[in-house]
Amino acid sequence: MSSELVLLVMFSGLVSLLLTGLPLAFVLGSLALFFTVVLWGPSALTVTVLNLYDTMRSESLMAIPLYVMMASVLQRSGVIESLYKAMEIWSRRLPGGLAVGTVAICTIIAAMTGIVGAAVAAMGMLALPSMLKRGYQPELAIGTICAGGTLGILIPPSVITIVYAVTAQASIGQMFIAGVVPGLLLASLYIGYIVLRSALNPSIAPRPTDGDDITWAMRIGALKSLVLPMLIIVGVLGTIYMGIATPTEAAAVGVALAFVSAVIERRFNGELLTGVALDVVKVTTMILWITIGARAFVAIFTGTGGADFLLGFIQDLDTNRWVVLVVMLAILFFLGMFLDEIGIILLCVPVFLPVIDFLGFDRLWFGILFLVSAQMAYISPPFGYTLFYMKGVLPAGIGMGTVYRAIIPFMLLQALGILICAMFPELVLWLPRSMIQ
Amino acid sequence: MTPLFNFVTGLNRILFGIAAIAIFAVVPMLLYEVVARYAFNAPTVWAMEASTLLFGPHFMLAGPYLLHLRGHVAVDIVSERASPRTRQVLEIFGFLVIAVFAAVLGWVSWPLAVNAFQLGETSFSAWNPPIWWIKFIVPFAFLMLFAQALVEAAMALRTPPAAAAKEARP
Amino acid sequence: QEAVEWRMQALWDGGTTPFEFEKAFVARVAELTDGKFDIKLFSAGQLVPAAQAFDAVRSGAFQMMKTFDGYEAGKIPSFAFTSTIPFGFPNPDQYEAWFYELGGLDMAREAYAKAGLFYIAPTVYGEEPMHSTVKIESIADMAGKKGRFVGLASAVMGDLGVAVTPMATADVYSGLEKGLIDFADRGDLTANFEAGLGEVAKFIILPGVHQPTTATSYVANTAAYDALPASFKAALAVAAREISGSLRQRIIVQDTIVLDKYREQGVEIIQLDPADIAEARAKAVASWNKATKGDALATRIVESQTAFMQSLGLL
Ligand code: NA
Ligand code: NA
Repeated sequence: MSSELVLLVMFSGLVSLLLTGLPLAFVLGSLALFFTVVLWGPSALTVTVLNLYDTMRSESLMAIPLYVMMASVLQRSGVIESLYKAMEIWSRRLPGGLAVGTVAICTIIAAMTGIVGAAVAAMGMLALPSMLKRGYQPELAIGTICAGGTLGILIPPSVITIVYAVTAQASIGQMFIAGVVPGLLLASLYIGYIVLRSALNPSIAPRPTDGDDITWAMRIGALKSLVLPMLIIVGVLGTIYMGIATPTEAAAVGVALAFVSAVIERRFNGELLTGVALDVVKVTTMILWITIGARAFVAIFTGTGGADFLLGFIQDLDTNRWVVLVVMLAILFFLGMFLDEIGIILLCVPVFLPVIDFLGFDRLWFGILFLVSAQMAYISPPFGYTLFYMKGVLPAGIGMGTVYRAIIPFMLLQALGILICAMFPELVLWLPRSMIQ
Repeated sequence: MTPLFNFVTGLNRILFGIAAIAIFAVVPMLLYEVVARYAFNAPTVWAMEASTLLFGPHFMLAGPYLLHLRGHVAVDIVSERASPRTRQVLEIFGFLVIAVFAAVLGWVSWPLAVNAFQLGETSFSAWNPPIWWIKFIVPFAFLMLFAQALVEAAMALRTPPAAAAKEARP
Repeated sequence: QEAVEWRMQALWDGGTTPFEFEKAFVARVAELTDGKFDIKLFSAGQLVPAAQAFDAVRSGAFQMMKTFDGYEAGKIPSFAFTSTIPFGFPNPDQYEAWFYELGGLDMAREAYAKAGLFYIAPTVYGEEPMHSTVKIESIADMAGKKGRFVGLASAVMGDLGVAVTPMATADVYSGLEKGLIDFADRGDLTANFEAGLGEVAKFIILPGVHQPTTATSYVANTAAYDALPASFKAALAVAAREISGSLRQRIIVQDTIVLDKYREQGVEIIQLDPADIAEARAKAVASWNKATKGDALATRIVESQTAFMQSLGLL
């Protein structure tokens, strides 16, 4: 079978099977098995199991249950609720204040965690109920969390950045530092958008009607609720950046501090523990079974010539180098709609980097464009994984359609981010160059 | 058949519960590692590896019962709009696909586990614990997923479409 | 002669120097067989994680792999000694001589045969360096320091008093930068330079005694290999031996170039005293014997290697 046809059949199979309502993990997994037998041979079925062993023993993926646990304890102990109250008091004059605050918190979480799934699922549990309770338009709330949650890809530490750097033979340190400015740029774009939209249409982000009587004493008093979260953030960030713990170990520190907060808030009890245990096992299992399916799918895609087809396609393009760049980013985005990022990196980076060198583009700069398009892929309908993590924590009555609608404006902002980074390479390159000789 | 169904679901619920509790052990282990390394300059060789040995079984063993809880995320745009009869057919189809998926992977992973056992596989790290046992978790989890998928398919077949429609709308 | 198509997964990421030599390997095999033997090459992790390729080839998912035997040393103790020996042969030619002149190849084949795999030939090259954030001038200096090592090296360094810290390859950069570890093994000099270790670790310790010489290997599924015509088998052996020499020589040249780049970054290159190393080697023999786990073949391999080291005056 020709590669074009393989590609077409695999992706149409993916779409139609998903539409039957079969869970994503089993869509990816069963298609991988089917195509393995048909195109590769039954002996290749072990590939899925061998990839699974690797997933089971991954130190970096092990951060997922820990970050979910931390988030769950914080939410159930009421710490986050207080944080939102404080944030509301402080940002009440700002249009879309809670969403703006959510982006700010997402940025801080991004600086703590290296895994997108955990960040989105955690913020979905923390920030979404809080915003919905205050009458925010679900689209605005969901879009903010999905987009904000993926900031963790660019803002260090980031597992995806590490995988990219290792595959691209780039310096992990330089890649990390290069992600800081573009990450903050995206966060600012989100905040600007939220403020602008909420100012133009206050009904999507209702401002509290009460509270004209809020005094500075009350504002200062509200800061008390910042103490525990800040201690946790400092505990996690501090242990990472002061060289006390790896990101995964720091997550365990975060969990411990979250439990301490629960004790201080007098909410540490059996009910809390049961709830936390259920949150952790549900969210972690859901994400990891998708990983099982995705890795199987990518392996069969590569093994049956999908990667060859992509390489041939790019090399046959004989045109302006910027057009080639746009085509490459479009391919990344397209694959990102279906596949997981680690798979895409393993698939595309070895194929694309020789082309990037050939065209005379900077590898570091391309890496950042790659990571921003990875962010887009994470939230792109129909199957961006973030949307599924999000859906795992949606309240009853909000369907996938709402999530799809929610995400469009934020994807456009990310596209704008790519454009800005492409037009002003200094935004990407200045910080790493000035920090490392 | 119902006692058998209840047995499968009950066993998977127990595995789910064990998985949910066991993962908490990771927290003190990693905290101990941080303190041992930072405060006493004496890193352990076991803490991180032992944590990953809990992590794999955690999500593998919880997978089958998550199916019962409908916790594996799916696209519901079509099934939300489908007639009760169509929805029932799609559901049963889905569970059968999952059963086949689980059966194939269970069958493929079994000889790998047996081989690891025969060779007494260890991790060959500085700690070097036996790790052959973790390879038996895989076929076992897929066997339990296979059983749970069949139970769910049978339950969906048994439930009249109208009742299923009511159930789906909490 | 009928055409044969194989899949092979390499041990290296696409775009790296060793991966270019794997491309050269499959091209050479094709050339020697008039284009009839077509090996489709995949980079590390494209089909399965590098450390899982063993079982994939055993089951026939793909016919051939370039691997590091040490990945499976937890199953088959002999593999600890057919891949790299901490404090072992200081010169890759000596290690390669053990394979080709002293029965090493046959013993490696015996070890793989039990698993239904055929060991074609090794690719032998030199050391991997240690990168350190603190000045380490002797083996004794390493005691009490936190070091990242894997496999047999982690046991041997542990026996020398190093506080061995397990850590994934991807975490080595940040581990050194943040001070989670004092010194580390990772990859070869060039790969480590590209990974930026020179930015965070201002000392390189040579020779990399934990991995003074390295053998990676071409391994095939036995059934697939047996089905090959004799000329195709010969083509694999010839190409493998060529690559072993040519990659090793490329690394010798690359190392001189990249060491200059490290110096430009302000990295200090420290050479350990050979007498110091010889003393530690004598101590390491006990760790080697322990790692055989009493396995008969592994014991034979270690005895044959130590006998050669004695005749070379290394022990
Ligand atoms: Na991050
Ligand atoms: Na995606």
